[in-house]
Amino acid sequence: MSDLNKLTIKEARAGLLSKKFSPQELVADCLSQIKKLEPKLNAFVTVNEIKISEADLAKPLGGIPFAVKDNFLVEGIRTTASSKVLDNYIAQYSSTFTSRLEQAGAIIIGKTNMDAWAHGSSTETSDYGPTKNPWNLGHLPGGSSGGSAAAVIADECLAAVGSETAGSIRQPASWCGVVGFKPTYGRCSRYGVIAMKSSTDSPGPITKTIDDAALILSLVSGHDPLDATSIDEPSWVKPQPLSTLKGLKIGIPAAYFSKETQADVKNSVMSAVDTLKKLGAEIIELTDILDPKYSIAVYTILQRSEVSSNLARFDGIRYGHDRSFFGTEAKRRIMLGTYSLSAGYYDAYYLKAQKVRTLICQDFDKQFQKVDAIIGPVSPTTALKIGATEGQSMFGELQDILLEPSSIAGLPGISIPCGFDKIGLPVGLQIIAPQRREDLVYQIAKIFEDNTDYHTRRPKL
Amino acid sequence: MSSNVITDDQFQHIAKLSRLEIKPEESYIKDQLSEAAKYVDVLKELNTEDISPTFQVNHKKNVFRDDVITPSFTQSQALSQAAKTKDGYIVTSATIKK
Repeated sequence: MSDLNKLTIKEARAGLLSKKFSPQELVADCLSQIKKLEPKLNAFVTVNEIKISEADLAKPLGGIPFAVKDNFLVEGIRTTASSKVLDNYIAQYSSTFTSRLEQAGAIIIGKTNMDAWAHGSSTETSDYGPTKNPWNLGHLPGGSSGGSAAAVIADECLAAVGSETAGSIRQPASWCGVVGFKPTYGRCSRYGVIAMKSSTDSPGPITKTIDDAALILSLVSGHDPLDATSIDEPSWVKPQPLSTLKGLKIGIPAAYFSKETQADVKNSVMSAVDTLKKLGAEIIELTDILDPKYSIAVYTILQRSEVSSNLARFDGIRYGHDRSFFGTEAKRRIMLGTYSLSAGYYDAYYLKAQKVRTLICQDFDKQFQKVDAIIGPVSPTTALKIGATEGQSMFGELQDILLEPSSIAGLPGISIPCGFDKIGLPVGLQIIAPQRREDLVYQIAKIFEDNTDYHTRRPKL
Repeated sequence: MSSNVITDDQFQHIAKLSRLEIKPEESYIKDQLSEAAKYVDVLKELNTEDISPTFQVNHKKNVFRDDVITPSFTQSQALSQAAKTKDGYIVTSATIKK
């Protein structure tokens, strides 16, 4: 058999268990796709040219090749967060997320490119050069988990790991046409993931199908004593799929469509709304949701503040290079954070933003009294062109306007493919639910995927 | 949030607090900081007088663990990534003048 790299996890597991092919062949096909496409895509920072002797197929992910975002520590493998500060860093331990994956049998075949330190929504600010969007090499993959999303749609791996602080799983998933599942804050441990904005950092899967994402989530979630903010629940259990959405109320916020929303994005999302309506959902327009512009401001202050603290530890003494290796983007963020936390400005910036965060959480509580889940576009646009971030110091914040509110409130959300624009770039639909209601996100995404075929399309490479 | 313009002195002070060296060709960062400060000005529109802050969305506090020693790094693991080591210690630059 050939092209085993094109399989989903579910298909590959069936093939492995029925001995149609071996785990060695599966890994070899992924590595050969990487070799073929990397000169064009640059989705990986480090490729782990692993030669496996055997795989424990009894395990739920036994033999499955994964790509992991380069801000997850994997013991013995170089981990850079796409920053030259960590160019020489070999991880001394593994993140809980990737150790649970490996315990479940996953094989890590490489570390994927990202915006340096996850600061951005383009993967253009990587110190290792931008990743290209597999659908059109002149366009960006989104970010910060852009390498992971590109690697999945380009079939360089079967599934990937990403992390989201405000959009970094969902936005690249949308721009690359794959599934990106951001769990409730605290559902998946942050231990061993290089900290960015610790109060919203949420690791999660990026996959070809919703069932693959749900399988991964069920294996890596659950309380971790090594992360004090991890929620006190056992691992998440995938619910039964629904055969109809009858009885379910889904809200669509008027404020999530603006003059910046591209017509093709709006049309694809509205056609997804029709599909959900046909499947039985009652669609309710949410006219009084808090304007997402406030989330940009809250996110900007809190992200910069937490970054200035989290990046203080990189001094080149215990690991990595010294602070002169930071790029401009990181310097800018560290400095704004230092400013907003400094004496005389703390109340006006940091504390004010934390109070507005309360208003954002309360607003979602109010909306979820009217509806079970909220849907909308992931991004106002499809993938922008390479170079779009130049001179745009607020690029990421403005791109992620529709994702920041739910991230700030710690809600679970997903991006699933729901259409294509007129030049063939994918459009993503986001589904948001109350905290710890990944079951609803899964059920709505699953029935949508079962009734559409956007997730089956692949770029010509 | 009265003034959004960051002065040269403030800029230098912030760089010092951040332990960052800003090269002359990066001085445009100063204007970008002012620009970002402008973006956050919209928060003034919202009344937060009786609102308490949300520092943490899953409302956990004081998470303790038992005071029990668990396996951790060996000395060689802990030192493996340090730029300079001597006699089992990490070498740093002097913090006290001789």
